[in-house]
Amino acid sequence: MRALRRVWTLAAKDLRVEGRSLEALVPSGSFGLLVVLVLGLTQGTEPDRAPAVLWVALALAAVLLVERTTEREGEEGTLEALLLYPGSREDLFWGRWLALVVLLLALGLVMGAAQVVLFGVRLGLGWPQLVATGLLAACGLAAVGVLLSALMVNVRGGHLLMPLLLLPTGLPVLLAGIRLTEAALTSGAPGPWIGVLVVFDALFLLVGPPLFAAVVEG
Amino acid sequence: MLRAFLGGATAGLVLLGLALALWWSPPDAYQGQYVRIMYVHVPSALAAYVAAAVTCASGALYLWRRQLRYDHVAQAGAELTVLFSGLTLLSGMLWGRPVWGVWWAWDARLVTTAVLFLLYVGCVLVRGLSDDPERGRSLASVVGVVGFLDVPLVHYSVVWFRTLHQPPSIGPSGVTIAPALLVPLLVNSLAYLALVGYLLVERARLARLEAAQ
Repeated sequence: MRALRRVWTLAAKDLRVEGRSLEALVPSGSFGLLVVLVLGLTQGTEPDRAPAVLWVALALAAVLLVERTTEREGEEGTLEALLLYPGSREDLFWGRWLALVVLLLALGLVMGAAQVVLFGVRLGLGWPQLVATGLLAACGLAAVGVLLSALMVNVRGGHLLMPLLLLPTGLPVLLAGIRLTEAALTSGAPGPWIGVLVVFDALFLLVGPPLFAAVVEG
Repeated sequence: MLRAFLGGATAGLVLLGLALALWWSPPDAYQGQYVRIMYVHVPSALAAYVAAAVTCASGALYLWRRQLRYDHVAQAGAELTVLFSGLTLLSGMLWGRPVWGVWWAWDARLVTTAVLFLLYVGCVLVRGLSDDPERGRSLASVVGVVGFLDVPLVHYSVVWFRTLHQPPSIGPSGVTIAPALLVPLLVNSLAYLALVGYLLVERARLARLEAAQ
């Protein structure tokens, strides 16, 4: 119970800081929209291209979002201060994870709405599948993001390494997101992709907390 | 003494494999002389995956026990993964160009190996970026563990996304490769496994000497 309260307090802290400044969501959202515009302009705007464009733009914007929230921890020495408090290191992971899931969902919502407008996508009856895809993808990406952000705090050139590590690691989420979005928009079968997302989430939510604890300790 | 024996045996195996690949093996009925690239490509891929598995296991052991000897092996493993996965990509491209007509076929195994290569390049880089060597070791260990666990998922998602690659010639359903090609392939695979083992031992030893300075 106490652990849950700690997790909630930490997540609320991260969300409050972001809510007051919007210094991670606005730049990453704007960058994501820019990628959508550039890809739409150069690759065509047929509605069947929308899922791939959306997920590529989302993945790139997510890298920026994780980077910015990580920089904030490093600049202000937040992580060191939090480590001084009693309690498990893994609670720190879950707190950051919860906040990042909410931020990624907000980013996905904005970019998804832009996609509907820019690519003329019709949602139809596939929206529950889209919501499930978004939730599963955000949970997995946030777990990898929090783990990698713990690695990159106070490391020279860490912001350059983040995309090099986050994008290849998150590749299954990107591919599953594209296929599931296509299936939702065309009322097709989801195939093995929900399973891919569930396994990815389970893997990183399982190994993420102990690895995070090992990194912030060492 | 043991190191010298291991080195000598490895060199012998590599030379034997090379001789079998270049002279003993007949040209393939469809691919002609290009099939000889397989004797570098497949064993390099095997060596890369073994090196990545060693990096993952020793990285996890280092994070758990915090003993430097595990980190020396993880460091050696990460560098060898980059070396052998890079060699796999290069030989795959050289093989793909004459056989498939393209340098890069976008198939699952090629993309998975490229992802493995990039993740382990990150693993090697991250070690040197931290001012605190102990922190650098932890970071590299985590990237080594995460990278290896992620690779099967990447592989299957790329397989399901799109694939062009020929199915594996050796698998649970049996062997579909002629014995004249299989023998050099097995000898070369053994030679590359010995090579990666020998290089692991030597590089880990060098890392220990560097750390002792």
